[in-house]
Amino acid sequence: MVGSASLRASHGICVIFASFLIAALLLVMPLPDWLEYCRPEWMALAVIYWTMALPHRFGLIGAWLLGFFVDVLEGSLLGLNGLVLALVAYLVLSLYQRLRMFTMLQQAATVFMLVGLHQLVSFWVLIVSNQNTSPNLMFLVSAVTSAVIWPLIFYFLRYLRRSFRVM
Amino acid sequence: MTINKSLFIQSSAQGYRLLALVLASLVLMFADNRFGYLSQVRFYASYSVAPMHYISELPHSVSQRVGDMFKSRDELLEENRQLQEEILLQQYQLQKIDHLTAENQRLNELLNASAIVEDIVVRAQLVVESPDPFRKQVLINRGSIHGVYEGQPVLDADGLFGQVVSLEPYYSWVQLITDPQHSTPVQINRNGIRAVVSGTQGSVHEMLMNNMTSNADIEVGDILVTSGLGQRFPAGYKVGVITNIIRDPGQPFARVTVEPTAQLDRSRNLLLVF
Repeated sequence: MVGSASLRASHGICVIFASFLIAALLLVMPLPDWLEYCRPEWMALAVIYWTMALPHRFGLIGAWLLGFFVDVLEGSLLGLNGLVLALVAYLVLSLYQRLRMFTMLQQAATVFMLVGLHQLVSFWVLIVSNQNTSPNLMFLVSAVTSAVIWPLIFYFLRYLRRSFRVM
Repeated sequence: MTINKSLFIQSSAQGYRLLALVLASLVLMFADNRFGYLSQVRFYASYSVAPMHYISELPHSVSQRVGDMFKSRDELLEENRQLQEEILLQQYQLQKIDHLTAENQRLNELLNASAIVEDIVVRAQLVVESPDPFRKQVLINRGSIHGVYEGQPVLDADGLFGQVVSLEPYYSWVQLITDPQHSTPVQINRNGIRAVVSGTQGSVHEMLMNNMTSNADIEVGDILVTSGLGQRFPAGYKVGVITNIIRDPGQPFARVTVEPTAQLDRSRNLLLVF
């Protein structure tokens, strides 16, 4: 009993890690130009799920480190994705009790708000650092697609979590 | 249960943690943006993402290889014939160019000007475009171990493509010449007027010529080549063609639109100039 219980503490790290790797791959997967705006924020979705499901294991620091990795991957400003992903993780940590009770529609709406905030903050930072001065609101499109695809992500990751008993 | 699953995550501790992380991010971003202290950090960290780039490149290279495998003999013969024709045409043009370069060299020597140096070019392939649609950057499959350096000019078959802005061991990021943060020193081929063209927010097919007075001798259709000033790009590479000139008497400068000759959104095969 003791053996199986102590095994559990680090159990399923591989599953979490693999899901983040897949998210990172989807993040840089080549897309046609007109679809570029619609790319869901895969990493933010994965962070939202794991923070919501396992708030005692995955939190701010994990999200921040993940963001650093995303910055290197995308070649964006170092620290930018760390900032926004930590922010998202923080909000989920303060919401997770409610998020779990929500219906799928309510969850998707919350995801829309969270990813929208994620996009807005990174947009601000990019403008302040002179990397982007484009005046339109197209960056919010990916918040919509993220919310639309959320149920799929949720059920997929929950299936993974349950079948590998990650807790 | 050995895991301490408390019902509530302590929120005050989380708040301080968030504050610390936000501060850390701000410091990082400031250092990265203003001083470039972190290019070494990024360089070493990018070893970890090289496999990701490799995998994201896979579908294209695999589909190309599979496509090559299943090409029919007729298609190959047809392609071969077309390529032969192209080579013939280009050899014919090259003969003239050889003659012209030799003549040019002689004239330059007469004028005591510096000799024209042949540029060495190395082929590179585009791996991915920047996932951020607001930034016009692409990743190419040549990095510092291949001798790529920051600021290196990149061409495609039709003209100037961009320059290397950030290095990784096996890959490097290239900023396109139409990125709003990029400016290229150019010269009009017809009369030698020097100017600077800058990228724009919108499409990849549009650049603007800065500070051209309304009475400057420019026409629609003028070809722009790199002037070699600014010591970044070697002189004489094609940059773009003037597509539109608006001379508004109320404005001090004309609004001159330039279309890049390079196929910025289509080329996969690029050339690095050494």
